[in-house]
Amino acid sequence: MAVFDTPEEAFGVLRPVCVQLTKTQTVENVEHLQTQLQAVSDSALQELQQYILFPLRFTLKTPGPKRERLIQSVVECLTFVLSSTCVKEQELLLELFSELSTCLYSPKSQKPAVVSEELKLAVIRSLSTLMHSAYGDIILTFYEPAILPRLGFAVSLLLGLAEQEKSKQIKMAALQCLQVLLLQCECQDHPRSLDELEQQELGDLFASFLPGISTALSRVITGDFKQGHSIVVSSLKIFSKTVGLVMADEQLRRISKVQAKPAVEHRIAELMVHREEVWVKNTSDKLGILIKKIIESVSVHPHWKVRLELVDLVENLLLKCSQSLVESAGPLLKALVGLVNDESPEVQAQCSKVLRHFADQKVVVGNRAFADILSESLHSLATSLPRLMNSQDDQGKFSTLSLLLGYLKLLGPKINFVLNSAAHLQRFSRALIQVLELDVADVKIVEERCWNSSELSATPEAPAARPWNQVQRRYFRFFTDERVFLLLRQVCQLLGYYGNLYLLVDHFMELYHESMVYRKQAAMILNELVIGAAGLEMEDLHEKHTGTNLEELREIVTSILEEYTSQENWYLVTCIEAEEEEELTVKQSGLQAIASAAHTCQVTSFPAFSKSSPTICSMNSNIWQICIQLEGIGQFAYALGKDFDLLLMSALYPVLEKAGDQTLLISQVATSTMVNICHACGYNSLQQLINQNSDYLVNGISLNLRHLALHPHTPKVLEVMLRNSDASLLPLVADVVQDVLASLDQFYDKRSASFVSVLHALLAALAQWFPDTSCIGQLQEQRLKEENHMHQTPATLEASTTAEDIEQFVLKYLKEKDVAEGNISDFDSEEEAPSVPPEADKNDTRPDVEEPLPVQIQIAKDVMERCVHLLSDKNLKIRLKVLDVLGLCVVVLQSHKNQLLPLAHRAWPSLVQRLTNDDPLAVLRAFKVLQTLGGTCGDFLRSRFCKDVLPKLAGSLATQAPISARAGPVYSHTLAFKLQLAVLWGLGPLCESLDLGEGDLNKVADACLIYLSTKQPVKLQEAARSVFLHLMKVDPDFTWLLLNQLYCPLQFTPPHPRLHPVRLQGAPTQQNPYAANVFYLLQKLGCPSQVDAAASPPCQPEARPSHPADAGAAALRRR
Amino acid sequence: MAAPLQPPPDPQFVLRGVQSAVNALHFCRESQAQGSSLLFSGSQSGLVHIWNLQTRRAVTILDGHGGQSVTWLQSLPQGSQLLSQGRDLQLCLWDLAEGRNAIVDSVHLESVGFCKSSILADGQPCWMLAVPGKDTDEVQILEMPSKTSVCTLKPEADAKPGMPMCLRLWQANCSSRPLLLAGYEDGSVALWDISERKVCSQVSCHEEPVMGLDFDSQKARGVSGSAGKALAVWSLDGQPSLQVCSTHELTNPGIAEVTIRPDHKLLATAGWDHRIRVFHWKTMKPLAVLGFHSASVHCVAFAANGLLAAGSKDQRISVWSLYRPRDSATPFLGESEVGGRHFTAA
Repeated sequence: MAVFDTPEEAFGVLRPVCVQLTKTQTVENVEHLQTQLQAVSDSALQELQQYILFPLRFTLKTPGPKRERLIQSVVECLTFVLSSTCVKEQELLLELFSELSTCLYSPKSQKPAVVSEELKLAVIRSLSTLMHSAYGDIILTFYEPAILPRLGFAVSLLLGLAEQEKSKQIKMAALQCLQVLLLQCECQDHPRSLDELEQQELGDLFASFLPGISTALSRVITGDFKQGHSIVVSSLKIFSKTVGLVMADEQLRRISKVQAKPAVEHRIAELMVHREEVWVKNTSDKLGILIKKIIESVSVHPHWKVRLELVDLVENLLLKCSQSLVESAGPLLKALVGLVNDESPEVQAQCSKVLRHFADQKVVVGNRAFADILSESLHSLATSLPRLMNSQDDQGKFSTLSLLLGYLKLLGPKINFVLNSAAHLQRFSRALIQVLELDVADVKIVEERCWNSSELSATPEAPAARPWNQVQRRYFRFFTDERVFLLLRQVCQLLGYYGNLYLLVDHFMELYHESMVYRKQAAMILNELVIGAAGLEMEDLHEKHTGTNLEELREIVTSILEEYTSQENWYLVTCIEAEEEEELTVKQSGLQAIASAAHTCQVTSFPAFSKSSPTICSMNSNIWQICIQLEGIGQFAYALGKDFDLLLMSALYPVLEKAGDQTLLISQVATSTMVNICHACGYNSLQQLINQNSDYLVNGISLNLRHLALHPHTPKVLEVMLRNSDASLLPLVADVVQDVLASLDQFYDKRSASFVSVLHALLAALAQWFPDTSCIGQLQEQRLKEENHMHQTPATLEASTTAEDIEQFVLKYLKEKDVAEGNISDFDSEEEAPSVPPEADKNDTRPDVEEPLPVQIQIAKDVMERCVHLLSDKNLKIRLKVLDVLGLCVVVLQSHKNQLLPLAHRAWPSLVQRLTNDDPLAVLRAFKVLQTLGGTCGDFLRSRFCKDVLPKLAGSLATQAPISARAGPVYSHTLAFKLQLAVLWGLGPLCESLDLGEGDLNKVADACLIYLSTKQPVKLQEAARSVFLHLMKVDPDFTWLLLNQLYCPLQFTPPHPRLHPVRLQGAPTQQNPYAANVFYLLQKLGCPSQVDAAASPPCQPEARPSHPADAGAAALRRR
Repeated sequence: MAAPLQPPPDPQFVLRGVQSAVNALHFCRESQAQGSSLLFSGSQSGLVHIWNLQTRRAVTILDGHGGQSVTWLQSLPQGSQLLSQGRDLQLCLWDLAEGRNAIVDSVHLESVGFCKSSILADGQPCWMLAVPGKDTDEVQILEMPSKTSVCTLKPEADAKPGMPMCLRLWQANCSSRPLLLAGYEDGSVALWDISERKVCSQVSCHEEPVMGLDFDSQKARGVSGSAGKALAVWSLDGQPSLQVCSTHELTNPGIAEVTIRPDHKLLATAGWDHRIRVFHWKTMKPLAVLGFHSASVHCVAFAANGLLAAGSKDQRISVWSLYRPRDSATPFLGESEVGGRHFTAA
């Protein structure tokens, strides 16, 4: 680009222009010069620097009024020259500096000149360029006491511009220039940093400007937010650097008491400042005010870069001037701490970095003054905390708590100084308790119930990142922002981490006891304290701090746990139900708790022991209380990890009890607590947890059974445990079962409901744990048959009968007839057709009467004995449950006929009562039991059934038939219908298993025939068909005859004319309502059909498809 | 006799899983336990369970008596050694140190009776063992661990006290002469001077056989329980001769074992009526009747820290925390203080 590389060439070109300019000073000439200069290389320009500068400076110095335009172009040209060259002479630098400065000053008004903005900008830039162009150490000679007035002049000019100009450009330029002037420039042109001595001298020099700079800048900084963030940022920067330089502890330490005699004239010496103690004190006081103002304004500045700059400022000042500015340390730290939770991630990151840096450098802890200041701030914050929490909105609370959190983080272990003061701890805790108050007005919590209480469905999933931090969503009275809650939890955790745990736990325990109003909050805080004390993933600013040791923590947790699960804190009234009313009366302590809770909801407390129902509020409050305590237990488990295993003996039982609570929320929380315990203690599943700790549970259960009135839920726990355990539990439970039975005998009238459900669970478990291989198959086969609706029978029956078969049959018949009539001839006993395979008898042959019975058999026996008595309980629900239990007893005992049969004998009268004289529901269940019983001890029941039950059943079927025939579609929803259906479905298998005789079969058939009518509901028809299909198996001939008497689809033509034609009653008329069903049954029986195939049973299409599915299901079950 | 408003006290916890009647209990001395206290229980089925009282679970099960009932358990002061007497006529010495559980020695017994043995050991390698002897009325004294017979104590021919039922070796602080207290089938308690091999004194305190006795050497007072209804307290004066101080009538007959708490404050009895009775040892004032078991209680034992354990025919071991000594540390979790509730036998 440069055309003229050598000074000679350039000189030749520039000379006329310079001469021209010196002669006539016009804008054109200046511009001309500038254009020429652009063609000159930098080195050549450097050589000719003085020469070129001369006309320009001459122009500036010429006295008299000048046009601004000219000055501006001259300054610009000057800037151009300076930017390409460097100033090597001190004189030149000084002169240029003064000449440029005066451009902005009008000597007459003693004020910055009123000139155009362009000119101001040009001059400022020129000054900045000048300072940059100073060569090497020349720049240092510039900062000498002698220059002080001129420098001060420039500084005040620039400050004035920065403060008062309207143009943002000028303001920025002025600030940047100021930065350069104060040697704070951040550009790369300043090769070396200053050594200590030089810094000291600079400090001395700048001390004179400090008041001016700081006040002016603070005005800029605290000015309107709208002035743009970059101005505030640079002002903050300059402020920070200047104060940091002048007030640096390091420099001040070296200042001697007596001021050295300066080697300058008196006038200048007066301007110099000696930074001795008094001056420092005064200055820091004044700076303190400014800093406070700045922080107040900037910490809420909307632009994050400004806040970021504030962080840097705090860092710079605290690091450099911690002693000189000790008064301001408080506000500075506060600003820093307050920004820890800034919404901008950059600020947050920087803040934490600075904090960590401080902690590393022991700026705070190592420095007593700082620690004192912080403690004092914490003190005052603690004092005002209750008021702040009361009055501030969510945002205010957020920032206050952020501040608190920051203090705690910074102070670390030293927070104990504050906590050790009873008054402050009191205020602290009051504020926390107050702000954590829950909103318990939600009605839903009480309403939501879980019905299948004993199923523990939750499976432990992979634990989340910080599982102990997951809690049930809750609603607070005084804030809605979730972040506030998070902060509060962090505060509590930090307290637990750094604070004296014994002291804190003791204090909050006291509050927990003090009033029902505080109890929930205190529990919440206690939970967090423990988590904090365990130091789970706590980010620690103080490396050496070791948390509470595990042994102590365990002791503390043990005592909290004991408190949580104590009678009066764990068994709170959470619902009113008719069922539980009897329990309420014995829950004295619970009622008391409610009474004291009541005033939270502005309800006048009612006397304990009264039966008035608790309010929804108090119940909600109780529910939350329990949930918080449950969550606490889960968190304790995380805090202690494997060590929690030892506490399981006292914790597992209460939690399990709550897992079966009727209130959905409690049950959910309890279940998740168990999942947490699983994670924390290393169990794979809830089942494993329960199973491996069943001994602890059994202990709790057996002890609580002794005081059933106080622990009405004990049976439920046993139930849950039974459902979740395996056979290995049995030896442990055996004695508890005896206890249960003893209690049942004792509380026969009051608590049988809960006991019966335990017995149900127990027997169900036994039946599952000890499947009787020989009998279970049989039973299932039987069930399969029932569900299959006899679909395999046709296959056996349909086999075409050959003539030989008939011959055989007739021969046999004759032989039997002979025998029956007493004409005994010798016949092969082998040929005697076994009527029914004596399968049932096989099991009866065990000669183990002398040996002690297996535990499960003994239990089943004992239970069945009780069932005999309870079968006639007044309460229908109990009767129904007992019937179920009875059925299960029969299943368990089926392999021990010696035990089963006497019991069955004893149970029979009441069972008959249930079958014949009870609510239809009970009849239904009783019938089911009868079926089971029939399946296991058929022979034993035969005659009793025929005598006691059958007539009644047949009678009721017969009387119900006309009703169902007439009834509409709604009938299928009635109990009567269900009863009919069940009896019809059950009768068939029963007939078969009991192996009824002809006469009784006749009764059964008579009763069921009516239901083959197509007038009956389809389902009943289907069921009736099943009865006949079973009958076919027992006695096919009889059935055939019976069916044909009802409806005879065929005309039987005698094979020989000499034989009488057979006349059967059932005429093949089209109106016969039995036609379809009978025809279907006869087909199944294997009778040749001649009638058109269209006469299929009416309901077959809909009944058929379900059968394969049923068969499949049954097959699956068998597998 | 005022009916207590509060519910009757519960055992602190119950140990389950022995699956057979519990015949003998013994708390391990604190010094032997590494970190946690142990309780030994001997069962009808011949097993010795070692329970960790902290976790409340069986740590180990020792099987050394061939399925025959274990009747007596005693740990030795030195080393982790346990003596177990079984009805298989073996007295086994177990080494339990560092998780071992092996029989290191055994003594063959010659009596099939129910008499429990007794030891006199004070930490020295040599210790004395009293076991029921070959003849029905004999007591044999052995020096252990060499198993050399010191002497056989046989009552005079005309005395006929019947079988020894319970033994208690002790040594007065001032003298070096070992003494033996023995309860006999005829209801008498005899004091033997072992070195002289003669009965120093004998007192007849029961009409039924003596089932258990314990002796408080500080107060020179002892107590014995029998199959009958009475509990007898007797004292020993300087002669030395035994004298019955008092007898206490119980509601139901049959005491299986009597034990004085190590701090000589309480006395507990194991009753055939399923109950444990607690007396104030100094005044013999009845303090509590603990009902929990559903079959006769076979044995009671006190731990050094005051914990009471009772083993019963119902296969359970109940552990109670009653009137805890003030100075004892409480190493157990979930402590519930029962102390202070007084109520007497119904």
